[in-house]
Amino acid sequence: MGKLERIAARQDRAAGRGPTRRGFLLTAMGSAFMFGFARQGNAAQVYPQAAANLPAGGAFEPTIWCSIAPDGWVNVNVIRAEMGQHVGTALARIIADEMEADWDKVKITYVDTDPKWGLMVTGGSWSVWMTWDQFRQAGAAARTVMVDEGARLLGVAPSACIARNGQVIAGKRSISYGEIVSRAHPTRTFTPDEMAKLPLKPSSEHRLIGREVKALDIPSKTDGTAIYGIDAKLEGMVYARPKMPPTRYGSKVVSVDDTEAKKVKGYIRYIVLDDPSNTVPGWVAVLASSYPAAIRATDALKVTWTPGKTANVTEQDIIEYGRKQIAEKTGGSRIFNDAGVDEALGKADKVVERTYTCSSVLHYQLEPMNALARQHEGKWEVHCGNQWQTLFLPVIAKALQVPESDVVMRSYLLGGGFGRRLNGDYAVPAALISKALGGKPVKLVFTRSDDVLFDSIRSPSIQTVRAGVNKDGSINGWEHHASAGWPTGVMAAAFMEKGEDGKPYDQFAIAGADHWYDVGPILVRALDNDLADATFRPGWLRSVSSGWTPWAHESFLDELAHDYGKDPVDFRLGLLTCKGRNAGSAPNSVGGASRQANVLKKLVEKCGYGKVSLPKDTAIGIATTFGQERNMPTWTAGAAQVHVDRETGVVTCQKIWLVLDAGTIIDPDGALAQTEGGALWGLSMALFEGTEIENGNVRDRNLNTYTPLRITDVPDMDIEFLPSTEKPMGLGEPGVTTIAPAIGNAIFNAVGVRMRHLPVRPADILKALKEKGNA
Amino acid sequence: MPPARWYVFHGIGGRVIKRLLAGVAAAGVLGGLGFLYYAWYPPIAPIERPNPASFSAEQIERGRIVAAEGYCAECHTRTDNGGGPELAGDYKMDTPFGAIYSSNITPDVEMGIGAWSEEAFRRAMHLGVSRKGAHLIPAFPYDHFTKMTDQDISDLYAYIMTRPAVHMSRRPNELPFPLSLRILQAGWKLLYLRPGVYKPDPRHDALWNRGAYLAEGNAHCGACHTPRDLMGAEKKGSAYEGAVVDNWIAPALNEHNPTPTTWTEDELYQYLRFGVAPLHGPAGGPMSPVPHRFLSTVPEEDVHAIAHYFADVDHAAEREKNDKAALARAMEESKTDLIGPNVDPDAKLYQGACAACHYNAAPTPVLGRPDLALNNALWLDEPTNLYQVMLRGLTAEEGQSGVAMPSFYNALSDKDMARIAAYLRRTRTTLPPWTNLEKKAAEVRKTVQPVPVNSSH
Amino acid sequence: MIKFKLNGRDVSVDVPEDTPLLWALRDDLDQTGTKFGCGVGQCGACTVLVGGRATRSCITPISSIEGADVTTIEGLHPEGKHPVQEAWKDIQVPQCGYCQSGQIMQAVSLLKDYPDPTDEQIDGVMGGSLCRCMTYVRIRKAIKKAAAAMQKEEASHG
Ligand code: FES
Ligand code: FES
Repeated sequence: MGKLERIAARQDRAAGRGPTRRGFLLTAMGSAFMFGFARQGNAAQVYPQAAANLPAGGAFEPTIWCSIAPDGWVNVNVIRAEMGQHVGTALARIIADEMEADWDKVKITYVDTDPKWGLMVTGGSWSVWMTWDQFRQAGAAARTVMVDEGARLLGVAPSACIARNGQVIAGKRSISYGEIVSRAHPTRTFTPDEMAKLPLKPSSEHRLIGREVKALDIPSKTDGTAIYGIDAKLEGMVYARPKMPPTRYGSKVVSVDDTEAKKVKGYIRYIVLDDPSNTVPGWVAVLASSYPAAIRATDALKVTWTPGKTANVTEQDIIEYGRKQIAEKTGGSRIFNDAGVDEALGKADKVVERTYTCSSVLHYQLEPMNALARQHEGKWEVHCGNQWQTLFLPVIAKALQVPESDVVMRSYLLGGGFGRRLNGDYAVPAALISKALGGKPVKLVFTRSDDVLFDSIRSPSIQTVRAGVNKDGSINGWEHHASAGWPTGVMAAAFMEKGEDGKPYDQFAIAGADHWYDVGPILVRALDNDLADATFRPGWLRSVSSGWTPWAHESFLDELAHDYGKDPVDFRLGLLTCKGRNAGSAPNSVGGASRQANVLKKLVEKCGYGKVSLPKDTAIGIATTFGQERNMPTWTAGAAQVHVDRETGVVTCQKIWLVLDAGTIIDPDGALAQTEGGALWGLSMALFEGTEIENGNVRDRNLNTYTPLRITDVPDMDIEFLPSTEKPMGLGEPGVTTIAPAIGNAIFNAVGVRMRHLPVRPADILKALKEKGNA
Repeated sequence: MPPARWYVFHGIGGRVIKRLLAGVAAAGVLGGLGFLYYAWYPPIAPIERPNPASFSAEQIERGRIVAAEGYCAECHTRTDNGGGPELAGDYKMDTPFGAIYSSNITPDVEMGIGAWSEEAFRRAMHLGVSRKGAHLIPAFPYDHFTKMTDQDISDLYAYIMTRPAVHMSRRPNELPFPLSLRILQAGWKLLYLRPGVYKPDPRHDALWNRGAYLAEGNAHCGACHTPRDLMGAEKKGSAYEGAVVDNWIAPALNEHNPTPTTWTEDELYQYLRFGVAPLHGPAGGPMSPVPHRFLSTVPEEDVHAIAHYFADVDHAAEREKNDKAALARAMEESKTDLIGPNVDPDAKLYQGACAACHYNAAPTPVLGRPDLALNNALWLDEPTNLYQVMLRGLTAEEGQSGVAMPSFYNALSDKDMARIAAYLRRTRTTLPPWTNLEKKAAEVRKTVQPVPVNSSH
Repeated sequence: MIKFKLNGRDVSVDVPEDTPLLWALRDDLDQTGTKFGCGVGQCGACTVLVGGRATRSCITPISSIEGADVTTIEGLHPEGKHPVQEAWKDIQVPQCGYCQSGQIMQAVSLLKDYPDPTDEQIDGVMGGSLCRCMTYVRIRKAIKKAAAAMQKEEASHG
């Protein structure tokens, strides 16, 4: 069972949802969802949200996942958050392909929370991977019924019929799905066992999967009709803005003076929030009749706090804390804990050790945090976009001190996720304010600086990699120690994995270090940086730890290769033996490390690494990873060509090559889009963005000093997916993973200096060049 | 008038007066009996308000043009407290000594100048003396109006006397004693006023002379663009050298104007007529009403004449030959750091905040993309105007008509503004760096009240 | 009461003069297609056209557009079929979509100034519009496609 499925099962049990795992329930007729779309686009958000549980207007709904209406429109219910990955399109396409639907008559509904959906989470590039089987079965169920009923209406045997493009066809005669539904009123449903036995189409029969189709959510994103959380509006609502306390935790309000705020027209009042969930300790919210008034009044409001204990913490403190953790032999959790690591290192000719660090990174998803909350017909409603509704509801319930069943989230599009909205903390203050106002609707919007101060940033990290190396450069043992804040530990501790030593650990603060190289016995140790956890709320950020663990091991391998005079590609290929734990297993990692070797070989072929001659101070570097997680590997190899300006220290990335094997590609164009975005995130975090903790908070608050990559910074990109019919893996994040180490390795190849901190800044290059010159 | 704009409190008169008053006080002490004799003017008898019907339509229209070319309404119309009726005065001018308020010049007999004969009116324009014989504060630029022909003054009289009479008084001046003594103005006049109507210069053609007549007289350009001495009078030898007026710089209009390309007659014309010049960009700040409210409403030839005159004042003909190279260089500079990858934090700030609107590509700037490498704001001795425009932005009525520049008041800190200023000076000009940029940003910020936009970081 | 033209219609809003145009559009005039990103004029998400020129609405006071002509994404084309929008759909530019109204408005004004834009010109003008989903490759492609389409249209009309 996949990691996520285990999480799901656990969460379902915890929520008393019984053994029906992930709510794959069959619905009774009549409880279908309304799938109204207010506007043209087939995937616009309904605005305002259509109420759930309206009668389905005679639609046929073989499972909760899809329905066919009498007019022939197929609706697919999507429980994943749409934040740019066109997940609805990808998922609908799986169902539609299997049911042989007419793509022009397919629409999607991003549903509100309901226990029947089971786990609602969108992250880790899991969506397609975890829905694949389920949705194909759902499609097959619908198709089976359409063929049976269509055959009956046509007066032929089902075996004489085929289904195509929303029609059941028998020779020259045909009948549309809509007509079948309106005439036959099918009501048949399926048990999970029956579903599992349904015949699925072979991949050669796929008509939508793997083909170019237009994403359903795109039109509404080009004409202003797409509705995001920040666009939610309810009659009679007031606006609120938070007044941010000096520290993330532990700040206490001493006094509030609103003399100046009162002079702002539209100012209503302030509220000192009382939060039983301790999500927003020490918060004061300012209410006003318009958002600009809330902005101004909040600036004018004077609040005195006693700050929490972390008021003086710096980035360096956190890194040094981690360094100490790593130096201690004990502590942390051992993810790989092979016997004999110490002996192996002891026997080696030499133990090579290197330490790598990465700065804090902001999400800076473009839509600032916001939520609209009210009490309505006995329920607490929160209107917003969110990536992990199942995690979010209990927190709201706790803050409001009501049962979880009294809270519902109305889903909106997300103006960027990147993991920020896995954490629903931003909805808590909205709910608390509404509660203080007796359930009146209130829309809380963070200004960008508020948003950044409240971000659950990617924690700064420190990693030490150690290897026992023999004279011939072969490796006989390996250690990887990583210290960082633990997002899952802080926000969803119950979902942490257990290490081989039985201790819980945050898989999202170490994944990527558990690589597929054959390097003798391995110890991989994850350390929870408590100082980080206490100072800010660490977050999951696009590609999570796989965005930074490869910075360590892929740089390290390159260092070893150079130290021992080996070609970095051959060196890696030699370690990708595909033996033992690295052989891979069905269904997720069939082929194991051999597939990683394949993408690397293909990459080298494409980019001409080691073969092409390039101008002075210009070079290519390579790196390879398995994307996100060992259990969901997207085999990835990346190369970057950089030029280093010795005068200014500026590193320019001129070109990126990526080769990926992600199993079956459902949506080639979407896969490419996700990978382009991921690669550019990787580049941005390598050369353009990064912040630091100063006085207990992030130093940068907005784009005046935080400088993520812009259009001018984009290099040439050449991205290729290896053809595969294996189970599809995620693509939202793997694009990120190889870029930073490929750049670091390229810098070394260009000018011979080794960078061990991310992001790479011109000053670091100049310093290193100077040191090298002096050496 | 757009509501609540900056010039509400800092109009042309306000800027001039501040520097005048120091001089006024000094001049007063020079006074003696002889001086008192000199300073004495008799009252002129009041008249019945002239019957509007007694003026011909043609004369009134000519008067309208004269009024527009002298910007009367700019200083004689209240703009604070929600604004006031046109020409009814009570326009507030801040001075270091307290505010003063302009007078009502509508034909109201009691509050305005309805009881003034044309003779009294002419004396006021030519000599700066009220009907009753009191000396007028030289914020009223009679040192320029003295050059106006009797015909123009007569037409102006016709125009004013046919405006609606507004029975409205102005607020009392807040000048402390002895500055409040009107007699002190006389001493200043003794020293600085050279009465006399403009005399055409025979070395120049009619267009030039028309331009000079307007610029030196009614349009009183030197009031802002000529530096003043310690007594607050325009420095005679430094005409149009440029001056600092109330936290804006009125740039030099002579050959010392620092922009890389010349203010040619056509650039000047476009600027004065439409509020935007293809190369030099939009008229901002106190200059903005000049084209929009006034010079866009007068005969085209008059604006041509002023442009023609100043193109001579700044020696455009000789300097123009360098323009092609200057333009080419500016177009290169315009794209500095904007093409291809860049990690310079200052360049990134400029890219995010400014470049989308100010970037230009060769061969020449797009109208509506004011090119900063060509703009006064970067080439002046101080970043004052650059800061003013960043902080205030431009309304759709200012600068280029119908387009607006946002206000970065809350978007950029003093430090951010200083970074942009230093960066632009470094990359878009050939001049030495400005100094103390952050402090200056804070100083200019203080002058921007009320805060233009309710945004926040 | 501030009056201006919004998407071709005369409108008036009764809000304080220092209200950012962005919030008047979104909250008072129900045009939520224009987005709030950074609030400091540096991301471009709030870009609208004022007098045909791309303008950051988050820091533009409503008083300063009195009498002006404002176009938002909703008013670009009655059916959302402006050549730039069409190209955006063809190239499948948007990911989360949040920046795209601003990108499209900025691109429209780019094409007005530079009907056949070079990469440099695209860089110069579009560099102010942040896309956190990093759809930049496609933005560049779509701009070129729209430019070609518009020139063709022009040619057939001319
Ligand atoms: S929200 Fe206006 S530029 Fe970012
Ligand atoms: S598409 Fe998401 S920010 Fe641009």
